[in-house]
Amino acid sequence: MTALSDTLEHYVLLSALIFTIGGVGFLVRRNVLVQLMSIELMLNSVNLMLVAFNRVHGDNMSGQVFAFFIIAVAAAEVAVGLAIILSYYRLKSTVYTDEADLMRH
Amino acid sequence: MEALQKIFPANDFALLLLIIGMPLLGAFVNGVFGKRLGKDAVGLMALSALAVAFLGSVLAFAMLHHAQAGSESPARFVWHGWQWLTLSRAGEASFIHAGAGANSFSLEVAFSLDALNATMALIVTGVGFLIHLYSAAYMKDDPGFYRFFAYLNLFIFSMLVLILGHSLPILFVGWEGVGLCSYLLIGFWFDQEANARAGKKAFIVNRVGDFGLLVAMALLVRYAGALDWDGIAAGSRGLMTEVRIWDGQLFAAFLPDVITQPRSVSAATLVGLALFLGCAGKSAQIPLYTWLPDAMAGPTPVSALIHAATMVTAGIYLVCRMAGVFTLSPAAMFVVACIGALTALFAATIALVQRDIKKVLAYSTVSQLGYMFLGVGVGAFTAGFFHVLTHAFFKACLFLGAGSVIHAMHARIHDTDASQDVSNMGGLKKYLPLTHATFLASVLAISGMPLTSGFFSKDEILYSAFTRSVVSSNPTTFAWPASTGVVLFAIGVTAAVMTAFYMFRLYFLIFHGSFKGWRIVAGWKEPQHDPHHAHDPHHHHHHHSSGPLDGPEPHESPWRMTLPLVVLAALAAFGGFLNAAPLHITPLEHWLEPLFEATVDPARLHNTDPDHALMWPLLIPGVAAFLIGSSVAYYFYVMRKSAPATSLAERFPALHQLLVDKWRVDELYDELVVGSLEALADAAVWVDRWVVDGIIARLTALIVTVWGHLLRLTQTGHAQAYAATMVVGMFGIGWFVAVPQPKAIISGDAQTGQYAVQAAPGLGYVYRWDSDGDGTYDQEEFGTTSSVTLSLEEGATRDVRFEVKNAFGRTRTGVYQVHRPKRDATSVVLGRDIHQPVPGGAAASAPLTLRGSLR
Repeated sequence: MTALSDTLEHYVLLSALIFTIGGVGFLVRRNVLVQLMSIELMLNSVNLMLVAFNRVHGDNMSGQVFAFFIIAVAAAEVAVGLAIILSYYRLKSTVYTDEADLMRH
Repeated sequence: MEALQKIFPANDFALLLLIIGMPLLGAFVNGVFGKRLGKDAVGLMALSALAVAFLGSVLAFAMLHHAQAGSESPARFVWHGWQWLTLSRAGEASFIHAGAGANSFSLEVAFSLDALNATMALIVTGVGFLIHLYSAAYMKDDPGFYRFFAYLNLFIFSMLVLILGHSLPILFVGWEGVGLCSYLLIGFWFDQEANARAGKKAFIVNRVGDFGLLVAMALLVRYAGALDWDGIAAGSRGLMTEVRIWDGQLFAAFLPDVITQPRSVSAATLVGLALFLGCAGKSAQIPLYTWLPDAMAGPTPVSALIHAATMVTAGIYLVCRMAGVFTLSPAAMFVVACIGALTALFAATIALVQRDIKKVLAYSTVSQLGYMFLGVGVGAFTAGFFHVLTHAFFKACLFLGAGSVIHAMHARIHDTDASQDVSNMGGLKKYLPLTHATFLASVLAISGMPLTSGFFSKDEILYSAFTRSVVSSNPTTFAWPASTGVVLFAIGVTAAVMTAFYMFRLYFLIFHGSFKGWRIVAGWKEPQHDPHHAHDPHHHHHHHSSGPLDGPEPHESPWRMTLPLVVLAALAAFGGFLNAAPLHITPLEHWLEPLFEATVDPARLHNTDPDHALMWPLLIPGVAAFLIGSSVAYYFYVMRKSAPATSLAERFPALHQLLVDKWRVDELYDELVVGSLEALADAAVWVDRWVVDGIIARLTALIVTVWGHLLRLTQTGHAQAYAATMVVGMFGIGWFVAVPQPKAIISGDAQTGQYAVQAAPGLGYVYRWDSDGDGTYDQEEFGTTSSVTLSLEEGATRDVRFEVKNAFGRTRTGVYQVHRPKRDATSVVLGRDIHQPVPGGAAASAPLTLRGSLR
């Protein structure tokens, strides 16, 4: 218990840092695989936040439970995301997002 | 009779419902089921509906006669239905004129029977029954048989509503109903364009008149406070109000003084003129008569029933019904009499030269209606109404006779125009003996041969026109010129000469001389193979070789057509004894006079000849008119075989052509009314095309298109762009949550000086207030109080400052200026919002931002 600091700010700061890295990565990178990884980073930063808050304020384990939910949802999401990437690659022969404008139609 | 009066008491006279309801039932059954019922059943339904209505009318008439015999005042039977509408405006200025008494107005659905409309109901149902009987044979082969009888029954129903209605709005319902049926029946053969156009014309011209009737109703509500007969009589005092119709202010600088004088007329004059506009539309008087000759496009029985005997006399009925109102205004009655006399003359001139048998009769009808208005216009209501009665007999007989002639002509030709053209007829006396006899009787009656019905009714009108006038008790209002009687009499006699001439011309051309129909046999085909001429009432299979030329002969109509002719001819010949004033046999006058005496102020009717001394002398011009007109026609068309008419036409070709073209009034109306309407329509089309379509539609579409193009640029389809937008939005929301918003709403009342400032709520907001304007906060600590109230002196202004702190501990200050205006100003609250974010929560009052009032 003492190894982990009781001051929540450090966790929040770390979580915000990871989220920002993920967000910026999603916005600026062109490679769809990297974008997928950036999304994972953001999800994990939220996981970290949930667990940290649960640690400090927790009189039940709902924060931890939510983290597990998110991990499960993230796994499903990655499966769907990879399937989309695969289809996209077959369609366009590329994994770069420059040409990924099908949502316009 | 006693038992009947128990069943049908005078104030709940349900017999009227039977009389009115039977034709409605007939119309419903024939209209809805007629196609499946077959012609026999349709005819039976229509005829039995009319028969029951007629018997009911006879019974009601007998009961009314019985009731009136035993009382001084005119008897009246009323059936009260239900309350239709009630209008009232308590408190404020009444929409009903003060002279009318009541401040509210209510209207009841009720029907009533008195001497006037009991007689009218007898005409409508009696003549209606005969014409139904005639139609059953005349329309036998028409595929629209059931439709015809449904319309005809609906017409009788509407006409009965018109005459039996106890108030003007009920009358108006019937008035519109007969107009609708007239339209439907004129355009009965609507597959021919001309017929449909004639129907439209009748309908539209009548709308002009109906406008007058509506205006009259509104004026009566305003000045008499009622629309039912009793209420109008009771409220007639209010009709003497002077109404300013022209204040002379418009363009006063440019007009002569005569025009800029303010003008007033009595309300009675306005009501009378507006009512007469309605009458002129329905009864085909100048200037709205043009629809009636065109209405002859309908089947001939329709012309007899609607456009001769019943519907077109509704205008005369209305004037008689509103006699109490009309006689209040000598000016309105003068207009009625003059228009009547002029129409009588004008229509007669046109009838002189027409060759279509139905057109002659149509203009004759217009002319005779003019006589009726002349009669009622001079205050001789009984005389005018008597002419309605006799005209119903002889004109219905003439039209039905014309139908019989046309029916016979269809043996030779199936063209509508050719079969109605008198120049194709002649010598028909030999083939149509019964039709000839009845037609002659009616021609003698309309021409005014002594002792026939037309003689008595027409000469009583002429006598009344000479001797009677309407006067006012007020010497400053309009008075009839002294020579009016002589002029009206002269016009009437001139028209009578023409009437005798053109009716005998028609008679001689149809029945005398040699039959000219033989020469239209060329191209003759067997008629039964031609379904397009479905109005052919009779098919012919016989070819006679005995005629001068080959082809079928014209022949007499079946008994169902001739029986009505005989009955009507007998009435036309002898009906005059209902009111033979020169012979002192006047049952009709005894019957009707109590009613008119009760509604008309006798002081308003002036008679220069109360002892009837002039009655016999004034018969002489009338008889002379008959003799001159008929003998000239005999000389022209029998002795000289139309030669004088031809030479006259050649000597005055322009005048002749003008008469043939009916004075070109239709063309004038086309230019003036239809032309201006079309110009208006063209302008409307231009506006529609360039303003509505161009600016409103196209410009709107352009704006939407431009914005669509702009917004489409943001729709890149790149998920990253969308995500970036989301991030920007999130930052915006985050800023809004992080920064406190010092907004407030000022409310209050300038009367009491109590104002409240309500700060806008937000997440975790707490406030502190400086409500007294002294620059320091009322309480140093922040609290949850989100509003303050303050009371101000008049003209005082105060700055209310408040600081708001949100959940992040950030603060901002808002300043609102509250101002209470002086008493003379309107209660506008001015609010000024002075705020800017202040780090650390220090108060600042500048700069000032002016906000619009929130109240």
